[in-house]
Amino acid sequence: MDFKKFRKKSPWLLHYNTGSCNGCDIEILACLAPKYDLERFGILNRGNPKQSDVLIVTGPVTKRARERLIRLYFEMPEPKVVVAVGACACTGGVFRHMYNVLNGVDKVIPVDVYVPGCAARPEAIIDGVAKALEILEKKKKDFVPPKVCKNVEVKEPINRKFLLEKCLGVKNEG
Amino acid sequence: MEKVVWALILIPWALALAVFISPWHRLRQAITFLSLPVLVYLTYLLSDGSLPLLIHTPHWVSQLITLYDFLLLFYFLYQGLKFRSFLVSVLSLFQIFLLVWVLLILPHREGAELLVDRLTLFMYWIVATVGTLISIYATKYMEQENLERENRFVSVLLWFLGVMNFAVSVNNLEWFFALFETTTLASYVLIRFRWDEISIKNALRALWMNQVGGIAILLAILFAVKYYGVYRFTEILAIKGHLISMVPLGFLAISALVKGAQMPFHRWLLGAMVAPTPVSAILHSATMVKIAPYLILRLSPVIKGTLLAKLLIITTGFVFVSAGLLALTQDNFKKILAYSTISLLGLMMLTGAMGSSTAVLASLLLILFHAVVKALLFMEAGVMEKLFKAKYLEDIRRLVERAPVTVFFVSIGFMSMTIVPYGIFVAKWLTLEEASNFLSHGAYVGSIIFVATGGVILTLLYFKIIGVMTRKREEFFRFRLEKLPFVYLFSTVPLVVFTIVGSIFIALLSTKLINPVVSQVVGSPAPIKALGLTLQTGVSELYGWQIVGAFTLLLIVPVCAYFIHFSGTDRVFTYTCGERVELNLGTYDFLCISQVEPLVETVSVALFVLTLVLGGGLV
Amino acid sequence: MSLALLITLLSPVIGGFVYGVERILRARMQGRVGPPLLQPFYDFFKLLEKRSMVIHSFHAFMGLMYLLGTWFSLYVLLSGGDILIAIFFHLLSLAFLVVGGFSVRSSYSILGSMRELLHMVAYEPVFVLAAAGLYLITGTFQISQILHSDKLPLLYLPLVFIALLLTLPSVLKKSPFDVAEAHQEIIGGPEIEYSGKFYEAIYTAKWIEYVYAFFFVFLFAGGSWWLGALLVLLSFFLVNLIDNATARVNFRQMVAFHWCVLIPLVVINLMLLALWRS
Ligand code: SF4
Repeated sequence: MDFKKFRKKSPWLLHYNTGSCNGCDIEILACLAPKYDLERFGILNRGNPKQSDVLIVTGPVTKRARERLIRLYFEMPEPKVVVAVGACACTGGVFRHMYNVLNGVDKVIPVDVYVPGCAARPEAIIDGVAKALEILEKKKKDFVPPKVCKNVEVKEPINRKFLLEKCLGVKNEG
Repeated sequence: MEKVVWALILIPWALALAVFISPWHRLRQAITFLSLPVLVYLTYLLSDGSLPLLIHTPHWVSQLITLYDFLLLFYFLYQGLKFRSFLVSVLSLFQIFLLVWVLLILPHREGAELLVDRLTLFMYWIVATVGTLISIYATKYMEQENLERENRFVSVLLWFLGVMNFAVSVNNLEWFFALFETTTLASYVLIRFRWDEISIKNALRALWMNQVGGIAILLAILFAVKYYGVYRFTEILAIKGHLISMVPLGFLAISALVKGAQMPFHRWLLGAMVAPTPVSAILHSATMVKIAPYLILRLSPVIKGTLLAKLLIITTGFVFVSAGLLALTQDNFKKILAYSTISLLGLMMLTGAMGSSTAVLASLLLILFHAVVKALLFMEAGVMEKLFKAKYLEDIRRLVERAPVTVFFVSIGFMSMTIVPYGIFVAKWLTLEEASNFLSHGAYVGSIIFVATGGVILTLLYFKIIGVMTRKREEFFRFRLEKLPFVYLFSTVPLVVFTIVGSIFIALLSTKLINPVVSQVVGSPAPIKALGLTLQTGVSELYGWQIVGAFTLLLIVPVCAYFIHFSGTDRVFTYTCGERVELNLGTYDFLCISQVEPLVETVSVALFVLTLVLGGGLV
Repeated sequence: MSLALLITLLSPVIGGFVYGVERILRARMQGRVGPPLLQPFYDFFKLLEKRSMVIHSFHAFMGLMYLLGTWFSLYVLLSGGDILIAIFFHLLSLAFLVVGGFSVRSSYSILGSMRELLHMVAYEPVFVLAAAGLYLITGTFQISQILHSDKLPLLYLPLVFIALLLTLPSVLKKSPFDVAEAHQEIIGGPEIEYSGKFYEAIYTAKWIEYVYAFFFVFLFAGGSWWLGALLVLLSFFLVNLIDNATARVNFRQMVAFHWCVLIPLVVINLMLLALWRS
């Protein structure tokens, strides 16, 4: 049986806020509420990286949030997609070029879908997630290291604990 | 046959003497090792004989014992005065007074002074196996602790076995009093073994509490002579059917409750943990506290169905639940074990007091498996203390990384007290069914509530500890099995093996070996049958495939945990919300329960008084 | 016997469907459309395909053992043996989950396992006493004979039945008694560290537990199996209604409710029954 098509039918979400103004988070929750009812597509908000397929990130990634975001990304099993929701998450939005932010999620981890808007509308989010699901179905089960760890070599099987320690360590030195 | 009985009683004394005077450690160890085959062989000889065996003794033995009684009581008095313990001295004086009174009114009648029936034999078996294994273990333990005083320690342990053998085979209540007080003496000597302040304090506490039991026995003799004119177990059992008064039985039951460390008299058993660990092992498993269920079982044909039995059920059932609850709040490993002993002793006496054949079967199974498992657990507690410096729950955290074998043994010990196919579980199951049976006659509703709730509390307790022990930071493949000294392995492995094998063949064990005991205690065997591994009771069955299946499930775990590593899969950190933190987690301490401890004690005192006053018919 | 084996083997499928229906039902109760009926199976196949990750092998292995243990305990229940034994076998399977949960150094997992044990403390006495009640009515502990008895236990044990219904949320980890799982608070408790195939084992074991728990309701109809099916449907609806209508309590309230309300309820019923009989 081709299990790949089931990826699309049961995506579980992990939602992480990297310092947003909470506007986009409210919209994401609105998607799950009765009016938009994301569960129609089998989408569940798990809140647990180890059992999720879609990482929804809001906010411009503050420097403090960077390490946490990487850890969460590491803890999600492949195949996974990352959706950046809101102008902040895409480019930094109203927070762009502030001293404490990194200007967008894609500076830290690979992003698959960008959902613009300040705040992003629920329809747009649903659309974005649907796009993400298409990407998810095509994805291979490969591990794509985050931007900050590109220079660390990846071997199979991956000992993520080791890798994480190493890549955050490398960054800290640099 | 009589010679064998005397040998069983006296040989431990001789061995103890030999150990005491022998100058070399190796020789002492050899003598202790010798005790195991000797006692087992003697007990085996007795198993073939026709039981019950009534043994008459010459008159001078009785006089000797009376003399010994007085010496013992004066020794207690001396100890009380020496350590300025008001309670000990007053109680000793009171006992001397009562003893004189007893001797004045005691009618002299010919009769057997020793009674060896299957129940006695059952206790012999436990002493001969579990007791001697603990003594063997003690030789190594004391070598690591204090080689100089090893001879004293081990010889007291061996002597204790002889005393225990004697205590369970007497028929005369006055003799029983003497032996009862001798076990008190033995425990007193053992608990204060380390001679520091706290040891002496706890030893004195054990002394006075047990003296209360002694007083109860003396009062029981007084009233038995007054109402019935008899003072032997066989004679008391013979008058069943037309009891004039329950007073003597009430007092005997009280003495059993005290000896069995039931609340509010539980503190002496808790205090015993200050002594070297083999002391706890021997007090909790083969000797001392087992006198309590033994006494209840002896009396169960007469007290069955009376108000006394009902009140005993409520009292012991209450202890079964509340001791388990209080154990949850403890953080000392030995203290937790002590509380769970108190709790399970409650269950043993509860089933004994129910008195039907199935209940007595359950009680005997509990005594047997509890002796084995508690001995195992305390020995492992000693191992943990000596080799891994782990005494508190704090210290045993992540023990599995350092000592997988020990953790495995301890887990088996704990699981065997709650989980499905093990012997103690079967006893609980039988109790539940018997309690439901009683329920259908419109009585004993307390028993089923207590058994149902007490069981889960113990499960909670044991899994809490197993959970603390099995916590690990890393993968297993870097670990090695720890090396344990030979003596430790020699004394613990047989117990583990027995726990498992005995549980697999529980059907055969209970029909072939335990049921004869039941039929001699109650008069009729329990209605159980063994079909292969399947155990059939009147109303239901425990299938062999269920037992085997459960064991396979349980034994797969350690084996596969050792071999399977899923080495192809990724390793990740635990989920910490993305934070980088070093987690150091304890466990629940259930503080909310320790708040109700005074309440629990008050209730238990009330129940105690009720048992004596209403059950004994003092009003 | 063969029927029991068949149901046991199919129990993940049955449980999966039950779970699917439940998700739809819950969505409808909230005025949503809800996922398709086969959603649990989609999840199942998706999880099968995910790359799995473990904390350490013992932990992952305990997840598999939990599935195996639950499955075995279901067979013990369905094969018509002793009802008490079946209850305690469930405890055995729970033990795997709990020990697995304890074996990692994650606060959520450890808290969850401890609460799982507290769940057990809460509901198990009720189950045991309910079994005693069934014994009083039918005169046997053997499930096969209870299922063929001509008496209707429900008539004699109404309070026991109510108590059992009210413990079901705690067995199935449903609100208000879902402290062990508490998705918003400790994110699934003992199951949090599992992922991929190992989470799949836990997920499936939960479905099997549905079958296990509702079978107890079924027993209360004794020999009339149609009534039993009706009871199961009603209780299923009721459990979901309660799940949607209530908020989570803390563990003390949960244990207190079971011990101070449900156990007395059962005991009153049993006592009245025994008195009536004697
Ligand atoms: S995009 Fe706008 S609404 Fe969304 S988090 Fe950023 S600032 Fe807030």
